[in-house]
Amino acid sequence: MSDQVTTDLIIRAEKLTLRFGGVVSLRDVSIDMRRGEILAVIGPNGAGKTSLFNSLSGVYQPQEGSITFMARDAAPLSVIGKKAHQIAQAGVSRTFQASRLFSALNVFENIKIGAEDHRGIGLVGALVKGPGTRRGEHQSDEVVIKLLEFVGLTREANLIASQLSYGARRRLEIARALATDPEVILLDEPAAGTNPSEKLELAELIRRVRDERGVSVLLIEHDMKLVMSLAERLYVLNFGSVIAEGSPADVRANPVVIDAYLGSSHEETKA
Amino acid sequence: MTMFSPANLKRLFLILVITAVVAVMTGTPGSSTASPTTGVHGSFLERVSWFGLFVAPRWLLFTTLGVIVWLVVSLYRPRARSIRRGIDTALALPKALATKRSTRVALMLVALVVVIFLPKFVHESFWMYLIVEQIGVWILLALGLNVVVGFAGLLDLGFAAFYAIGAYTTAWLTGALPAPALFHHPIPTLWVIPIGILAAMIFGVLLGTPTLRLRGDYLAIVTLGFALIIDDFVETQSGVTGGGVGSAPVPHPALNLGFWHFHWGITPTPYYYLCLVFIIVFIIVFTSLERSRIGRAWVAIREDEVAAESVGINPLKYKVMAFAVGAASGGFGGVMSAGLVGIVNPGLFTFQISVNVLVLVIFGGMGSIWGVALGAIVIQTATSYLDNYQPWGYQINDLYMYIGALLIIMMIFRPAGLLPSRRRAREFAAAKGDEQVHTDEVLTGDQP
Repeated sequence: MSDQVTTDLIIRAEKLTLRFGGVVSLRDVSIDMRRGEILAVIGPNGAGKTSLFNSLSGVYQPQEGSITFMARDAAPLSVIGKKAHQIAQAGVSRTFQASRLFSALNVFENIKIGAEDHRGIGLVGALVKGPGTRRGEHQSDEVVIKLLEFVGLTREANLIASQLSYGARRRLEIARALATDPEVILLDEPAAGTNPSEKLELAELIRRVRDERGVSVLLIEHDMKLVMSLAERLYVLNFGSVIAEGSPADVRANPVVIDAYLGSSHEETKA
Repeated sequence: MTMFSPANLKRLFLILVITAVVAVMTGTPGSSTASPTTGVHGSFLERVSWFGLFVAPRWLLFTTLGVIVWLVVSLYRPRARSIRRGIDTALALPKALATKRSTRVALMLVALVVVIFLPKFVHESFWMYLIVEQIGVWILLALGLNVVVGFAGLLDLGFAAFYAIGAYTTAWLTGALPAPALFHHPIPTLWVIPIGILAAMIFGVLLGTPTLRLRGDYLAIVTLGFALIIDDFVETQSGVTGGGVGSAPVPHPALNLGFWHFHWGITPTPYYYLCLVFIIVFIIVFTSLERSRIGRAWVAIREDEVAAESVGINPLKYKVMAFAVGAASGGFGGVMSAGLVGIVNPGLFTFQISVNVLVLVIFGGMGSIWGVALGAIVIQTATSYLDNYQPWGYQINDLYMYIGALLIIMMIFRPAGLLPSRRRAREFAAAKGDEQVHTDEVLTGDQP
């Protein structure tokens, strides 16, 4: 499907600088994400990958630079200064490195919270349960059922999130993020803590997120094999700066990357 | 064998220390001037009757009781597992029944019948009055705070403020405050109910909007500050609130529907039914809110605010909503109390009241509407009984010592409360199992 990738941009981050006191977490980071691509950000621990994600999703506010999100049917949105929930409502969804599920709720409810429209709720509407409210409930239930099938958790629908295996939790997190009907999904180490067969399943799932649902994917991942097989393009971060960009083959051959990130010996690929 | 092992002897020592404390607590108080040792004498040396069998000094009685407890514990511990298994099998059937919908409905109907006919069995109007003032009003307060603490997970240490606002609004609108009346004629107390509820909700929004951006401890401190401000305001602004003395008498409510006229008078029974109706209404409203989108958004915020935001939930909006909704039943509690007691004064809204409501919520089970109602009934009944009968050398000032001990025991053996909500119980279980996950987070660094 990579031939479908166009130069149509969906997220443009320009010259982002994020500081925490004296610590510079991101320095002049610019990233262009094309609509419909699977883009990966790699880099050693502490390179600023998660800081970048948190900036894109409104959890952190970079001091300098700009982030523009170009939704399909809306005016370009300037992300900086917006609250996390506004960015999520605009169509940028995310998962977290250490999965942050609602662990006392079951699988169904976890996705349903994502599927519900949290904008126009009044107290009265929620109480009286008029036809509009009921239609809304019905619609979100349908979204949940479809997503359960999509990520393969239909049989686990009634299990409590904390009872799931690690791999299933990661899939549930992706389903919850997809439930908000996003145009872009940011996946922060989706395969962390999973076993090799779960990793393969996740890679397959991520590909289907883009192919079947048309959602652009931006991911951070440590597992090189997974990244190289999944991503169509990569950015390499080190010490808060972008040091390389390109296709997996380009990046793998780039001497700067090999020096900075992979180390001089290729044995250490897995970091 | 293990009976006299060091660990078990240590346990004996601990039990004896606790017994000594209990002996002091239940003994006669010492006199600070005449003879400072009267307390010691009354606690330990006084000769008392042993259950009417024979007479011996208290220290002997308490030591014997301590040793008996120790023996029971020592014998129980090696067999704890099999005993627990026995209890589990014995409770399996009742537990299975309790989770059935039909049983629950039946229980609810029985409870309803009991509460409807309760005044028929309570003949003394003094007790009827206590049931409304000490239990009914407190159920309302606990239900309201449960929305804030239990549903939305916001620690509010100043809930009495909403209670005060409900009560003072009532006094104001019925012309019992020095403050200039809002309407030309004071309005009847009953019609104050919607206005009192609304006033409390508006204050909930006003207080919530700036403060609910804070999380956890910070929020608790701000709510505490707010309660102290309200407390200070009503205490010192005599020109507006009547100051420490309180309001003029608040007229009893009356209902005039043209064809039917009813007057709430001195007898507490009509208040009982008024209170009951509103408790049922609030239970229904809060239950359906809990099951609505709003309820789910509250759970999401309570469990993980960052994750909730990531799916498009605006935490501030829902927290303010929880504050306003909780304030509604707290405010009604105030209206109720003003109408029943007939006077409003600052003593009713101290910090201690806020803490007390919080105790009811924690004891009953945060987030569990029925648990909180039951918790309020249990604790408030016990408190009223202790205050009015003062059994076993109990003194009113000791109340919080016992409540404190009760809470400690609850936190150890039943942290999710008397009747925990299913979700909350799971959260507690998950929190126990989560330690592994947290260490992982630390190890991978790269914190979000």
